[in-house]
Amino acid sequence: MNRAASNIQVPTSRPKTLVLGLGNPILTDDGVGIYVARAAAERGQQEGVSFAEASVGGLRLLDVIGGYERIIIVDAILTRDGEVGHIHRLFPNDLRASLHVGSTHDLSLPGALALGRGMGMVLPEDEDLVILAVEVDDVLTFGETCTPAVAAAIPRAVEAVLAELDPGEP
Amino acid sequence: MQKISIDPITRLEGHGRIDIFLDDAGDVANAYLVIPELRGFEKFAEGRPVEEMPRITPRICGVCPEAHHMAAAKACDAVYHVQVPPTGKMLRELLYSAFYVADHTVHFYILAAPDFVLGPDAHPAERNILGLIHKVGVEIGSQVIFSRGKAMDIVGMLGGKTIHPVGALPGGVSKAINGEERAQIEAWGHELVDFGLFSLQLFADVVLANQGYVDMILSDTFTTPMYYMGLVDENNLVNFYDGKVRVVDPEGKEFVKYTPEEYLDVIAERVEPWTYLKFPYLKKVGWKGFVTGMDSGIYQATPLSRLNAADGMATPKAQEAYEKFYATLGGKPVHSTLATHWARLVELLYSAERIVELATDPDITDPHVRNIPTETPTEGVGIVEAPRGTLTHHYVTDENGIMQKCNLIVGTTNNYAPMSISIKKAAKAFIKGDEVTEGLLNRVEMAFRSYDPCLGCATHTLPGQMPLEVRICDDRGDTVEVLRQNM
Repeated sequence: MNRAASNIQVPTSRPKTLVLGLGNPILTDDGVGIYVARAAAERGQQEGVSFAEASVGGLRLLDVIGGYERIIIVDAILTRDGEVGHIHRLFPNDLRASLHVGSTHDLSLPGALALGRGMGMVLPEDEDLVILAVEVDDVLTFGETCTPAVAAAIPRAVEAVLAELDPGEP
Repeated sequence: MQKISIDPITRLEGHGRIDIFLDDAGDVANAYLVIPELRGFEKFAEGRPVEEMPRITPRICGVCPEAHHMAAAKACDAVYHVQVPPTGKMLRELLYSAFYVADHTVHFYILAAPDFVLGPDAHPAERNILGLIHKVGVEIGSQVIFSRGKAMDIVGMLGGKTIHPVGALPGGVSKAINGEERAQIEAWGHELVDFGLFSLQLFADVVLANQGYVDMILSDTFTTPMYYMGLVDENNLVNFYDGKVRVVDPEGKEFVKYTPEEYLDVIAERVEPWTYLKFPYLKKVGWKGFVTGMDSGIYQATPLSRLNAADGMATPKAQEAYEKFYATLGGKPVHSTLATHWARLVELLYSAERIVELATDPDITDPHVRNIPTETPTEGVGIVEAPRGTLTHHYVTDENGIMQKCNLIVGTTNNYAPMSISIKKAAKAFIKGDEVTEGLLNRVEMAFRSYDPCLGCATHTLPGQMPLEVRICDDRGDTVEVLRQNM
């Protein structure tokens, strides 16, 4: 039986590159990925590129990224002794440290990607899934703005997204 | 006193871990689950128009946004003193039933089933959905993806958005469904019923047919009698969306049944000096520490507790599964933490059957789905059963509907104390006289995994395989041994 196929095919007209802001826009620095994606969308519109935001991980994330061949995820990250505002460039296998790309309630991103590929979904290869992770400070307090050092990193993160979209630009 | 720390959230220093304290003989004295607490939601909500809550509160949780959406909408109905038309109520419950199918599917197949299919002692690298597919066949993966996908498609169809639904408004829902949509939902509903039956059969074949697993489920290590909470309809049957909250005692007798607005008469919250968390308990029984039984006000709110607190299921196939559940496990109530997984599958089947029932109701396509609020807003409480426990939203507004006060008791919160107690029991079985037995990590993880705790009730998601670190400390707090899993 291959009923799953009817669920996972995506329209062929869908753009093949996705810029995805992940995070929670009501938890202070946790929204940084979403703010970066929104700002990048204002400057980076081009054919074949779409922009989205989500506050999910695991299988729910698979719903969002299915059908794309190249994905740039912007997320928040907390690392031991990390410098707040630093932007990490990671790939799926580096992801243990990211806040959103996996979920304790279902799958890690590598697990979700493996499951999706096994079920025939169109998904990027690992090297075509870049995670730009901004080192954050406070993700436990409700609030709709970032702390100053994280807010200051947003323009740099936007530039990093645009550079990923168009590596030829100086 | 020695202390063992199991740290599942290595990214958030100082938060989210399990502390196990040993006595002087090296045996387990106490165990506490410490979960990161989000700060300041009440302040964040104050001053906002209350009708924003069904859109804002789903952002609290990346795992069950639909539950917050529904609890918030129901609290808003109460604040505005508005009755939801019958079809509006059915459409909300239809969305919510579909969400339950998706959520329970993910929990069982991604988190629970690998423990049983591959065994609790399998290497963590294999003890996951991919290992499960490898062992049982790709068909399982197709079924999981397909069924969850269809359930989420129903959520998206009714809620406007799949991820953070916006369909429920004070007084009803924003849009009716047409005949074509109804027929589609019914067709998917029948397939989800088949999937529910398939899942229960899988559980029977893999778990119940293995005496070792049945013995483990029924073992003292995973058995903790306590009070049980769950929402029930007017016939005392399980309902996730509406009704009264019923609590039964450890012997299964009704202790109390309360309406949402009475929750403060029944529930109190204990504050402990060592954690930010508050521990809800039954006010009339009282807080007696981290113990369970007839004299302790600690209760649980889980799939298992919902079955224990009700007299049965409101749909026929789920009722059959309910009867088999209790016949197999020795009658009501069932006290085994691990039976929660089975209870979850009974609920999955009920939710799927409920989708079909609602989709075939003659009034489901009625265009009257909302009553516009006209009363002056004041105060209201909304309660639904979230997959991880009874969810309560309580709002107080001024006469313009601006939030003045807000209180939430989220699903997992109900279970903080029971989880700590279950972890303690599991740890006791695997730590004897300073010696940590192989298998501690898996068993402790299994003990709290069955509750499916929301760590922080937000989108603070982590790698899917729970990293665990056990630190064994001597009397002075110096680490003498470290055990790690998935790190």
